Formats: sequence, structure tokens, C-alpha cells
Amino acid sequence: MDQLIAELKTKIVDILNLPDVNPEDIQEDAHLVGGELGIDSIDVLEMVIMIEKDYGVAINNKELGAKVFATLRTLAAYIQEKAPELPN
Amino acid sequence: MTGGAVYIVGMGIVSSLGLGLDETMDALINARRALTTASPFPIALPRYLPVGAVSLADAGQSPPRTHRLARLAADQALAGCDIPPDAIVLGTTTGGILTTESLFEQQIDDPKRYGLHALGSVAEDLARRSGCTGPVITVSTACSSGAVAIKLAMGMLRCGLARRVLAGGADSLCRLTYFGFNALQLIDPDGARPLDRDRRGMSVAEGSAMLLLSLAPGDAACPQIIGAGLSCDAYHATTPHPEGAGAMAAMRAALDDAGISVSDIDYINLHGTGTIDNDLSEARAVKTLFGPGLPPASSIKGATGHPLAAAGAIEAVVGALSIDRGLIPANVGHRTIDPALGIAPVTSPLRRSVSTVLSNSFGFGGNNAAMIVSRTARPLETSPSASDRPGLTIVGRACLTGAGLTDETRRAFFAGHACRGVLAGGALAQGLAPRLIRRLKRLPQMALSLAVHACDGVDAERMPVMVSFGTAWGALSETHDFLERLIETDQQYPSPTDFIGSVHNAPAGQIAMLLGAKGANVTTSGGDYSFEQALLAADLLTRQTADPIFVAAADEHHPVFSPLFDASVRLAAQPADGGGGLLLQRRQAKGASCIALAHYGSGEPADGVKTLVQALGGAAGMDRRFGAVMVGLPAARRKQAQRQLDSFLELSRFQGAVIDYRRLTGEFGGASAVASVLATEMLGRGSVPGPLVGGTDQALNGKGVLVLGLGDFITAIRIVPS
Repeated sequence: MDQLIAELKTKIVDILNLPDVNPEDIQEDAHLVGGELGIDSIDVLEMVIMIEKDYGVAINNKELGAKVFATLRTLAAYIQEKAPELPN
Repeated sequence: MTGGAVYIVGMGIVSSLGLGLDETMDALINARRALTTASPFPIALPRYLPVGAVSLADAGQSPPRTHRLARLAADQALAGCDIPPDAIVLGTTTGGILTTESLFEQQIDDPKRYGLHALGSVAEDLARRSGCTGPVITVSTACSSGAVAIKLAMGMLRCGLARRVLAGGADSLCRLTYFGFNALQLIDPDGARPLDRDRRGMSVAEGSAMLLLSLAPGDAACPQIIGAGLSCDAYHATTPHPEGAGAMAAMRAALDDAGISVSDIDYINLHGTGTIDNDLSEARAVKTLFGPGLPPASSIKGATGHPLAAAGAIEAVVGALSIDRGLIPANVGHRTIDPALGIAPVTSPLRRSVSTVLSNSFGFGGNNAAMIVSRTARPLETSPSASDRPGLTIVGRACLTGAGLTDETRRAFFAGHACRGVLAGGALAQGLAPRLIRRLKRLPQMALSLAVHACDGVDAERMPVMVSFGTAWGALSETHDFLERLIETDQQYPSPTDFIGSVHNAPAGQIAMLLGAKGANVTTSGGDYSFEQALLAADLLTRQTADPIFVAAADEHHPVFSPLFDASVRLAAQPADGGGGLLLQRRQAKGASCIALAHYGSGEPADGVKTLVQALGGAAGMDRRFGAVMVGLPAARRKQAQRQLDSFLELSRFQGAVIDYRRLTGEFGGASAVASVLATEMLGRGSVPGPLVGGTDQALNGKGVLVLGLGDFITAIRIVPS
């Protein structure tokens, strides 16, 4: 799980092109969307694609997205639970 | 001069419901849901998403599908009409993209095959077929394009610029919109269910509708368009304002324009796409505006799907049919009332007399339009004559070329040095916050840079309320990257961000958000004349208001797409891009410069140049008003343009400086916007710099500069001291 969280931090900073944000700036339990990082609904969609592509996990509706993307930890937990290739 | 209503003297329609008025009416009476899994391109998704497709007998690639749909609608609208329309205004977001996608997928790099990629090529095709030699304007404001086109056509008629205008919208299904909207999770896998509690999104569709609009009534009792209003949310790239503030502003503006009140509306044809956010914000806006007296309302997009740029025009025709044949169409696909919306739409078609219809069209970037169709004739109003109306005063300006921003460009250009090139990203984004541009590629960055620099130091009350932006090719980087990734990932992982950025009106939407400009927001696309089109739109939108408007045009150089699409780029000595922007306000201001579009017509007719010279007041008018001419001779049309220039100089007997600006700026669609900014700078210094005329400075002696566009079209922008 910690490894997955670290991996996600790097990927998020990379695909979202967040200026002045380093992977370690993302707090596991802080609001992922709408917080200081500046991540918004369009970024969520971009993350949805990345998660489906890299982990084979689909997050294909808004209600589910709101739960899964609450924090980095909830996101990692969801991927961990659903990803076919990740050890539980 | 007349104001007020314009008559619909001809109509044409093609959609998933069928071809022509009768088939459309038949489908509406029967509340037929025309969503299928038919698609004009192969789909590798595990599950097909329902679309609203048109059955086209001929499925070839030329002309592209959008062109064919537009032809079908235009032919109906012009049937039995011997005289060509004076002008054409068409809304489209797709142009030839479906064909481009196929060619790109097959890695075909023959530029001839991409010849009808441009959005503007659809309207130009209609102009050729109908013999129209006047202005041919293309509007691209996403899903409100068709309605905005009709608004501009009304403006042309009302101000006497044209007597009959063919206006409407056309879009074909294509990979970009199908996979793009899906990546945004805005598609309902079960087909659109507008306003339904369980709705999950829209269904992408295709179609076209064209209306022949005239100041004079046709033979039969024909419905009229009595008002239209535009606004911009300036809120978010894709999500509407949650309370529907922009939607309400557009509806209010349409009612004001028509001079009627909410109680006069018999039927509201909702935009109602079926997305969770659109329907919620539209419902809130409608309820707030109408209060308890809400008339019957429905969205037809559960029947047709959402034909994007064609939607506004298709629904204008449906509004006219409602009035003409006494029908309120059903909100097909709706089962359960959504308590969050608090609106019970019409669920079965109602046969009853309808006099006045309000039709909404909202688009990405918060581009909102509302239109009112009515059977009730309105008395003619007297508008202030043209001579009483102040011109568009230049309040701020900025340009961008390979040399850099305004100061660097002016320095190079005025020294007679080339400023062509492709400015590096860092220099381009100078002054823009990194967070602001983190998702933006080249064209939107250019647009923001122009807006920020043109408005630098401008008083708060002169900051732009409206935006009119021209671009020949739109956001090529985003379009390319979206398609590339779509192909590379076998349609599985297209980028939502690139899709949002790929729409032609994205840069203007970004400007609106940055500046909080909540008035009309228009994007035009007409090749090398896109700035002229944006200026024409700005002129029409400011007839009744002193609200400041930012008018700009820009085009980016893309290493793959620019040479494929733009023949002038292929002939250029080196890649170049850039643009220019002017902050304008309609007011009297001593000492300031004024700008106006003096002429826009086809370059084909033998008497095209003669018409231009006449529009400029003949040789005497030219001599009295202009000290210099900046002329745009696009490389791909250099011979034709040179002949036109020779003819112009002969007929106008013009003796002043003539500057062939593309030799210095390079070849790109928005070059005339750069030329207009530089012309304004010349007016400011009162002379044409010597190096540009191979000698010493030539005083303008209080005269202005004419920015001439030649080639496929002949255009003239007048920049003169006020």
C-alpha cells in the first residue's frame, strides 16, 4: 500500500503537470480534490484514465469517483482492492 | 433601417429523426427515439454507446460528412430560390475532422486529402454551391454554435449588411466527440434521458439545419426569429454554472432583444442534454426566470441525441415547426421526475396552438445562447443610423510573433526585419501564472497572453465584457495529441484534458474565465480571414452596447498538422505563428484610433476588387482616408492575390505606402491580427517607418491605415484616427 501511494504521488504530479508541487507534498489523508494542490474535476477525469490504463481499475461514474478520490489513501485503497494485478 | 424580427423564409433539416420538415415532424409527433449504435467509424469499445446518426446513402470520404449534412439542409432551405443569399453564417465544431481522423489513422500524409479539414470549408462549400459572394462566416462555440450563427445572421440583417442570410449549423459524428465526451463521463450508456432522475449523460449525434433569414416575409405565413441573446458563464471549461447564472443571462437577453416578457412564451425548448450538471443548472435558471408560471418545456435530445453545433439550428427549425404545425414535442426518454430539478417536462407530444417558443443552446466554455421564435409580427423599429453610431475605439492592444510580444515585434517589423518564427514556450507564457496554464498547450497560451497584455493597465470599467476570437485551425496541439493517443491506445485511453482543449472555442473560454468576461463569447474560424470574421462578429455584438470587447485572432504552428492543413504554411520559408488582439469599445474618444471591417467578400468574382474600392469610397475616399495599406497575400494564393492587389492599386489610384506584411510576419492564419495591431502602432507614431518602404519615414498626415486581405476572400479593415 505504501509503495502504491508513493507511486501514485509521482504519477499524479506528472500527469497533472502540477507546478511547484513535489510528490511528497501530497498528503495521504488531505482532500485530494479542491484543496491546496489545485486538483479539480478535469484532473479527476485524467486520473481516471491513468488508473484504468495502469491498474486496470475503472471508476466510471461521478458518485463512485467522489468517494474514491476523497483522499490519496482512499484512492490507493480502492485500487488495491480492485486491481487484478496488485497483491492484497 | 429596421430592427426586431427576421423572417424564416426557408428551412432545411437533417438529423437522426430524418431528412426534411415532414420526416422530422412525423418523428416528433410519434415521439420516436432515434438513438442507435450505428456509427460512421469503427469502434473498439466493449460496449457501443447510443448515438443519433443520420443515414447517408453515400458514405465516401469526399466531401467530408459535415459538409454533406450541411449541403442536405442548405439545399432544402434554398429550394425554389433563384437568388443567392447575401451572406452565410454557419456554426460547426467538426468541419472535416471525421475524414482527417481516418487519414491520420492510416498515416496518409498527402495534404490534398486534408483539403476540407478546416471548419470554414463547410460554409465556403455552401457559398460556392449557392453562388453567395458576400461574407461567409463560421462560428464555433461548441454546442451553441448553431444558435450563435443565427444571432449573428440576425445582426447582419438588422444593420443592413445583408438582406437575406443563410444561417444554421452542422456537425457530423466523429471520433473526437464520441470518445471525447465519453472520456469526460458525459455519455449515458443507455441513451440520453434529459431531465430524468436517473439520467447519466448525453448521446452524441449529428445533423444540420439551415434557415434562410430575411427582413421581408416570404410567400406563406412564416415564423420569425424575434430575439436572441448570448452570454458566457466565465466559470469552468466544461461544467455549467451551478445556479445557471449564464443560462439565465442569455434567456433574459433574448427576451429583451425580442421586447417580450416570460409570460409571452408558450413553450420552452430546453437545451436538456441529459448530463447531470447541464440539466440541473438549466432547470434552476428556467425556474428562477419563469417562477411559478413555467410554460410547457421539453428537450428533444432524448429523441435526436445531441447534434452539437447543429443543435441550436435544428431546434430553431423545431421551434418554427411547433408554431407552424401546432406541436409541443415530447421529452423523449424521460420516465421519472427528478426532485432535484423540480421540472415535469412534457412527456407526450401535445397538439396545440403555439405562438412563441424559447429555445436554449449552451456549450462548453459556458457559451450560452437563447433564441425566440414567434408567429407574431413585431412592428419595425428605427435603429440609430450608422452615421450616429460611434465607431469601435481601440483601448488596448497586443501582438505576438516569432520575435516576441508587442514591443519586440514592433521593433523588428518597423526596422524592416522579419519577425516570423515560433516563439519558445517560456517567452510565450511570460506573465501567465504557471498554475493557470498547466493544462494549456500552445494556442490557449497565446490567447491568454494576448488578452493579458492587451488589457494591461486598462481601467476596470474598460475591461472586456465580451470576447470575439478568430482562429483558422484551432488548438492543433490538443487535437493532434488527442487523436494520437486515441489511436495508440486502440481507442481505450483518450485524454479528457486534450479533448476539452481541442474545441475551437477553448481559448476564448479561457480568456473569459481569466478576465471574468460574462457577455457574449464568440469564436470564428475562416482560414486567413478569421480575424476579420471575429471583428465582424464584434461589430454586430456591440451595436446596442458600449460594453468593451476583446477581439483577437491567433494560430499556432504544429509540426505535423500545420503543413498538412495549411497550403501557405507548406510554401513558407520557415514555420511561424502568432496573433494579435485589440480591446475595443464603442464610444467617441478624441485622439484614439478606431477600427472597422470595411469589406468582406469573395475573391472569385471578376468585379470583387471593384466592389471593394467602391466600399472604400472610390479613389477619392482612399486618398482622403488612408496613408498606407498593409496587405496580406497568403503564400498559397499569392498569384491570385497579387492580381487582386494590382487591380486594387489601379482602380483606387492609391499612391501611399503598401506593405506586404506576410513577408515579415510569416504565414499563419491569424497574421492579419498582427498586421492590425502594427497598423495601430503606426497610427500612434503618425508615420510609416522608413525601412518598410525602402526610404525615410512617410508621414500619415492624420490619415489611417487599411489592412487588406486578399486571396480566396477580399477583406478590408479600416484603422483610422477618430
